[in-house]
Amino acid sequence: MSIRDAAFLSRSRLLAIVTSRPFLTFAIVALVWIVASFVTRGFGAYGHLRYLVELAAVIGIVAAGQTFVVIAGGIDLSVAAIVTVAAVGLPLFAIDADPTGLTPILAVLAMTTAIGLVNGLGVALLRVHPMIMTLAMATFLQGLLIIIAGGSAVTAANPLVSWVGNARPFGIPAGILVWVVVSIVVLVVMHATPFGARLFAMGAGPLAAKLSGVPIASTTMAVYGISGFMSGLAGIIVLGMNGQGYVGIGDPYLLASIAAVVLGGTSILGGLGTYAGSIPGAILLVTITALITVVNASPGWRSILFGTLILALLLLSGREAARR
Amino acid sequence: MSHASVSSTARFGSLYWAIQAKRNIGVRGLFVVVLAFMVAYGFLFHGLFTGSGFAKFTQSWFPLALVAMAQAILMLTGGISLAIGALVSLGAVLAATTMTGPLGVAGGAALVSLVGLGIGAVTGVIVVKLRLPAIVVTLAGSFIIAGAALLVLPRPGGAIPPWLSDLLAGNTPAAFGVLVVVVLLWKLYLATPLGLSLYAAGENPVGAYRSGVPVDAARIAAYAISGLLCTGAGLFVAAQTGSGDPIIGNSFTLNSIAAAVLGGIGFLGGQGTMRGALAGSLLLSLMISVMFFLGFTPVAQYVAQGLIIIGAVAIPQFRMRAR
Repeated sequence: MSIRDAAFLSRSRLLAIVTSRPFLTFAIVALVWIVASFVTRGFGAYGHLRYLVELAAVIGIVAAGQTFVVIAGGIDLSVAAIVTVAAVGLPLFAIDADPTGLTPILAVLAMTTAIGLVNGLGVALLRVHPMIMTLAMATFLQGLLIIIAGGSAVTAANPLVSWVGNARPFGIPAGILVWVVVSIVVLVVMHATPFGARLFAMGAGPLAAKLSGVPIASTTMAVYGISGFMSGLAGIIVLGMNGQGYVGIGDPYLLASIAAVVLGGTSILGGLGTYAGSIPGAILLVTITALITVVNASPGWRSILFGTLILALLLLSGREAARR
Repeated sequence: MSHASVSSTARFGSLYWAIQAKRNIGVRGLFVVVLAFMVAYGFLFHGLFTGSGFAKFTQSWFPLALVAMAQAILMLTGGISLAIGALVSLGAVLAATTMTGPLGVAGGAALVSLVGLGIGAVTGVIVVKLRLPAIVVTLAGSFIIAGAALLVLPRPGGAIPPWLSDLLAGNTPAAFGVLVVVVLLWKLYLATPLGLSLYAAGENPVGAYRSGVPVDAARIAAYAISGLLCTGAGLFVAAQTGSGDPIIGNSFTLNSIAAAVLGGIGFLGGQGTMRGALAGSLLLSLMISVMFFLGFTPVAQYVAQGLIIIGAVAIPQFRMRAR
């Protein structure tokens, strides 16, 4: 290969990256941040931006599971309920013999992963549509939550949980560090393993994937299991940040996780997308929310602004192909 | 000449009923289940067969039936809406703020209908013409519509003229009568060119488009009708409670999907019938009533509801595979 060819190749690769949707979403975030910090005093302060990313970490982690499910051709409407189950259920697993607080966390993660696996079982083996399966699961968990919490808030006296929610090693909130680790693992699994390749194949064409030897049932279960695990992790971080868990604490994360996935350019129809887009998608969502709070409008106008902005951003990243 | 035309109408009539009977096949099992629940409910609640008992029961079913139809129309065209609940709320607050004002009942009802049609049509245009996925557009739309409902009425309030509440939600089965009219109108709509295109547009949009079916128009019309049904349900809910509440419709989004799916409407478009969706909504409504009468705690209700929905959807799948 001549030097000119190599230069051409690298230039076309650069062009592909610059015009890709994840990059575009990152560019929008950067633009919004720059404009907002000129317009609004204090928006561009390091502390404020760090706070935004810390809030985005929770959405981003839930969106990681959602991205897996959506790329595989499904959707998980039970994430909010699972986040709440994790946040409210954690104190139940508290064991006095374990001063580090690691045991309850592991128990909660195992539980939420199991919930996700049951979702996958229903979708893969009972052939229930993902929307119905996860919706029914959310209804079921809602009942379970009333038994567990009985309407009152629970307080976590777990040192590890409060560390994850409040500590700042090297000046960076622990939640963000967790998100960074999750992001790296997710991106590697998604784009550099056979499992990831099967995921995209399944989302693009389930029948073709099945005929090519993709184990549909186990892959589907794994995908929903991952989503359950991520929602559980997010629930633990939310509990640490809030200090208290209550029924409804996870509610904002259902719509946020789907919006982050779609804003990041992942097709809601499956088979196309990347978690690299959901990351800036989550940050963008939090940024929009923060900006709307700055505007100081009534709740009605805030809701209208939020919906309109998401709709406008969708035009940039969410369009389907034309019918011919 | 007259003889030939009579025999051809007769043959056409028998063909019509044969096709209608064929369309019952998928939902026959559901009808049996609904009937069983109806009998159980009749045993638990003896008043069901009196005039006012029947009126009360149909009133508790009516809004769910309307939103199930609203969701089913969209699912038949391959769409879906997550803004159903927000639209119901908007219809309720609009009715509660305008009907006692200068617009009066007729003006308020007209406004509620126009807003429903308009928002539905705009949603349809965004989904169809801008080619955005319906689930995400209606998700974003639900924020906008819910915000608008909050602007109209920031906190529960407003009023509905008492005579209207008595008429719609009193001791007369007026709600059932309205539902019958709505179903007849739906039958009529299916006979129009747009209605005929509905199934084709959902089942095989590309093939339908290439055969000259107005796919885009059929889908946009479906969104508009769906919006109208939702705000209509909102008006009824406002009449039931006598006032407006900007978040009263929230539970209808999920229940509308559950009812439509229980009724055998497929997510991919073109599969299912409106009678199925109505039976699905009736089953859901009966289920809630029966569990209430059996003294189920809310917890057990949630758990049972979740299990029944999964079972109702999964069992036909198993039977299909066994065949």
